[in-house]
Amino acid sequence: MKTSAKMTITAALGLASALSQGCAGDSSRPKTFSTDWLDDGGRSISEVQARLRGVRPSVSTDLVVSVAGNDKIIGTPLGEGAQWTATHALDARPIIAGGVVVVSGGNEVAALDAASGKKLWSRPTGGLPLLGAGDDGNVTALSLSRGAGSTLLVVGRDGSVKRQLETDKAIGDPEVVGGVVFVPWANQYVSAIDAASGDEIGRVTIRDKVSRALAIGGTLYFGELAYVRFDDKIGQASRGGASRVALPSRELPGTPRLLVPGTEKVPPAANARDRDRLFGRPSGDAATLGIDSNRFYASYYRLIFGFESQRGHLAWVRTHAHDFIGGDAVVGGVVLCDDQGKIVVLDAQTGQVAMERPIGEPIKSCVVQADSFQAPKPASPGPSLGQQITDAVTVREATLATAQRLLLRELATLEDEAATKTLIDIASDTRSVPVLVADARAALATRRNGASHMLAALGKHYDYLHDVLRSPPVGPIADALAAMKDPNAAPLIATRLLDPQITDDDVKRAAAALALIGTEKEMPQLKQFFAMYRGTAPTDEVAVAVGSVGEAMLRINAKEARPLVEAAVKDTMTVPVARARLEALLAATPDKPAADKPAADKSATKK
Amino acid sequence: MRAPTSFPALRRVALALALTCAGESSVSAQPAKAPAAKPAGKVDVGPAVQKLKSGDEAQIRAGLDDLRIAGSGASGAAPAVAELLARGLSEPLAQQAIDTLGDLESPEGSAVLAQYAAHRTVAIRRSAVKALTRTKGPAAAAALRKALGDADAQVRGNAASGLGALKAKDAVPDLFAALDHKVNEAAASIGQLCNAEQCDQLAGKLGKLPFDVVTGGLEPVLFRPASDISDDAKIKLIGRLRELGTGEANRFLKDVEKRLPKEASPRVRQAVEQAVKATTGGSQ
Repeated sequence: MKTSAKMTITAALGLASALSQGCAGDSSRPKTFSTDWLDDGGRSISEVQARLRGVRPSVSTDLVVSVAGNDKIIGTPLGEGAQWTATHALDARPIIAGGVVVVSGGNEVAALDAASGKKLWSRPTGGLPLLGAGDDGNVTALSLSRGAGSTLLVVGRDGSVKRQLETDKAIGDPEVVGGVVFVPWANQYVSAIDAASGDEIGRVTIRDKVSRALAIGGTLYFGELAYVRFDDKIGQASRGGASRVALPSRELPGTPRLLVPGTEKVPPAANARDRDRLFGRPSGDAATLGIDSNRFYASYYRLIFGFESQRGHLAWVRTHAHDFIGGDAVVGGVVLCDDQGKIVVLDAQTGQVAMERPIGEPIKSCVVQADSFQAPKPASPGPSLGQQITDAVTVREATLATAQRLLLRELATLEDEAATKTLIDIASDTRSVPVLVADARAALATRRNGASHMLAALGKHYDYLHDVLRSPPVGPIADALAAMKDPNAAPLIATRLLDPQITDDDVKRAAAALALIGTEKEMPQLKQFFAMYRGTAPTDEVAVAVGSVGEAMLRINAKEARPLVEAAVKDTMTVPVARARLEALLAATPDKPAADKPAADKSATKK
Repeated sequence: MRAPTSFPALRRVALALALTCAGESSVSAQPAKAPAAKPAGKVDVGPAVQKLKSGDEAQIRAGLDDLRIAGSGASGAAPAVAELLARGLSEPLAQQAIDTLGDLESPEGSAVLAQYAAHRTVAIRRSAVKALTRTKGPAAAAALRKALGDADAQVRGNAASGLGALKAKDAVPDLFAALDHKVNEAAASIGQLCNAEQCDQLAGKLGKLPFDVVTGGLEPVLFRPASDISDDAKIKLIGRLRELGTGEANRFLKDVEKRLPKEASPRVRQAVEQAVKATTGGSQ
C-alpha cells in the first residue's frame, strides 16, 4: 500500500509539472471558485452576457461517436461526410465538444478532429479521470477529477495548455463560448472564467442542481435536472427568473436521468444506466423556452417512449430489435444507437424511423451531438398508439416488465377496443410476466368496451392437448361484462363457472357477475355449481361464489331456488362460509307470501 | 387393467361372505361363485337407499359402504347415489359416493360423474374419471375425452386408459393428440382401439417416442383377434419393429413370440419368428 501511495504522489507531482508546461508563469487562482462570494444579484454574469452578446457557441459537428472493440473509436456523421475510425486507450467515454472529440486513456487526454478522427493534440494527465469538455473552436476546456477536487485545463488547438486551474471543489462539465469558459461547480454555481487571464469574471447561482454547461443548437445552457438558458435573463437566475425549461414530472420506466451529472466519470462502455435514459432538447425564441417538437423521450432497454412535453402524456412507444445504449434529442426527433451498431433517427411526432445508419459492428457505447441536424420526416405515420403499446407489452422479456407495467396502465386509459384485446391476450398468455398478468387483469376489470373480445375470450378454455395452458381472465371479464350489462355474457360466464381450470378468484367474480346478469337460461349451470360446491368448496373464495350463485338463483327463480337454498342452509354438510352467506341472503330476501294469502294485508294496506 | 377388475371382486367375495355369516348386512348379497369374471348377482338395495335418503351424514356413509360391499350387484342403487351427488355432499362423502358409483358399474352414474370429473378439487376429478371407466356409457366416453385435456397428469392418464377400456374408437384421434403430449397411457388405449391405418400411425411413433411407450400400444394390437384387426396390419407392425433392428426391438419381439396364443395366425407367428431372427444381435 505504501509503495502504491508513494507512486501515486509521485505521479501526481509529475502530472502537476506536466500540466504546467506552457503556462508556468501563470499564477491565476484569485477568487476563482471561492465560496466566500456573496450573490451579486446577477450583476457579474449579466456583464459577461453583455460581453458575449452576439457571440454564439461554435458550430458543432453532427456526429455519433461510438466505442467498439478494443479502444476503437468510430465517428459516424449524421449528415454528409464519411465514417472514421481512430484508436486510443480509453478510460472514459469520449466527449464530443464542438469540432473535437476528446478521448481519455493511457494517462493522457487527446483531441480528435470531429470531422476526420485525426488526432489534433494530446496532453498527459497522470491518469486523472476526464469528466467533461467544451470547445469554442479556439480552445478546449477540460475538467478532470482530482480526488475530492478538480483540475480545469484550457488547451489551445496546438495542444499547448493555456490555463490550468486546480481547485478543491468538484467542478462539472465546462463549455467555452467566445474565450470564456463556463464552469458549473458545487451543484449550484456557474463561474465564467476568462480563458486568457484565468480570472473569474462572473458567476451565477442556479436554483436547480447544475453540473453541466452545454452548447445546444447554437445556444448555451446550464443544467442537469433542467435547462437554464444563458440569455439576457441569466442575471435573474438566483431569483428564479432565468429562462428555464424542465421536463414534466411523470411516471417513467426505471429512474432515467436527463443529463448524467457532470461530476461523474462515465465509463467507456455503456452500463445499465445507459439503457435507461431521458432525452429532451431545449429550444425556443428569445421570449420563450420549451422542448423541441413538444416531445421528450425515455429509453428503456429496447423500448423508446415519446412523451408530450407539456403534461407528459405518452405520444408513442417504439419497440426496437436491440437495446439502446445512447442517444440524444435532435431537432424534430431523437437519435439513438443500439448495442448492435445501428443508429436510428426517430420522428418526434410519431416515433417512426426517419433514418437509419449502420455503424458496421456491435458497439460498447455511443455519444451523440447534433447541432444543426434535423430528423427527416418518416415515410408513414405508423400504427396507432394502442398497437404500439401492444407491440411493446407483448415482448416476453423480463427486463422490460417495469416499462410494460407502465404501458399497460397507459393502455387501460385508451378508448380502443384493441386495447381490451391486448389486455386479454397478456392475461391469458403463460409467457407473460406474472406482475403483468396481475396488472392486465386489474385493468381489464375496469374496461367498458371491447365486449366482443371479452366474449370471444370466454369461449376459450384451458386445453392441455391443444397447448392452451392458461385460462382466459374470466373474473375480470365477468366484472367488466356485468358492469356493461352485456346480454350475451351470462351464458358464457355460466359455462366458465364450471371450468375447474379458472382461478378461485375467477370463480368468485364469475358468480358475482351472474348474481347481477344471470338469466333463467343459466339456471341449470347455477344449480349444478350450487350443488357441487356447497359442501365441497375447496376455498373460501369458492364458498363465497356459492353464496353469489344462491343469490343469482333466488333473483332469477325464487320459487325454484328458495327450497334449494333453504335446504343447503339446514344441511350440516354445507361449508360454513357458504352457509353463512346463504343465511344472510335468505334473511335479506324473505319468502314472498303466496298470491292468494296476503288478501287481508292488501285490504289493510288500502285502508 | 387387471388390478381394477380382480381386487374389488376379491374384496367383494370376502366382505360378502363375512356379512352373510354375521347376518348383519342391510344388503342381502348373493353368494359369490366366480368372483373374477362374472357380475355379482342383484341385491336388495332398499335398506341402503333408505340410508342415503336419511340426510344424516353417518347414515349416508353407512349406506354407501353397504353399496360398495355389494358392488355391481347393487347397481339398482346407482340413481340414488347419483341423486345424492347431484344434490351436493361434503367432500369426503362426495369422494365416497363417486367411488361407490364406480363400484356399482352402472351407466346411470355416468352423467353425474361426468360433472364431478370437472370438479375444482383434483382428487375428486381423479376419482370421478376412474369411476367413469367402470360405469361406461356415452356420457362416460365424452367426459373422458374431455378429461384428456385436464391440467392434472393423473387425470389425463386415467382418462386415456379409460377410453381404451370403454372401447371408445371415436376417441383415437384425441388419444394420438394425448400421446403427442406425453400422455403415455394413450398408447395402450390406441393399441386396443386402432384400425389398420391408425395402428400403422402408432408404429410410426417408433424412434420418435420412447420405445417402451410405443410398444405399450403395439403389443395389444398384436394380441387382438383377427376379426378386430387384420393379420396384414399386424405383420406391417412387426415389419416396422424388425426394421428398427435394435436389441430392445428383439427383446420385445421375443417376448411376443413366447406369449402368442396357440390359435394365433400362422402368418403372424412366422412374421414374429423371422423378425426375432432378423433382430438378434441388433444394437442395444
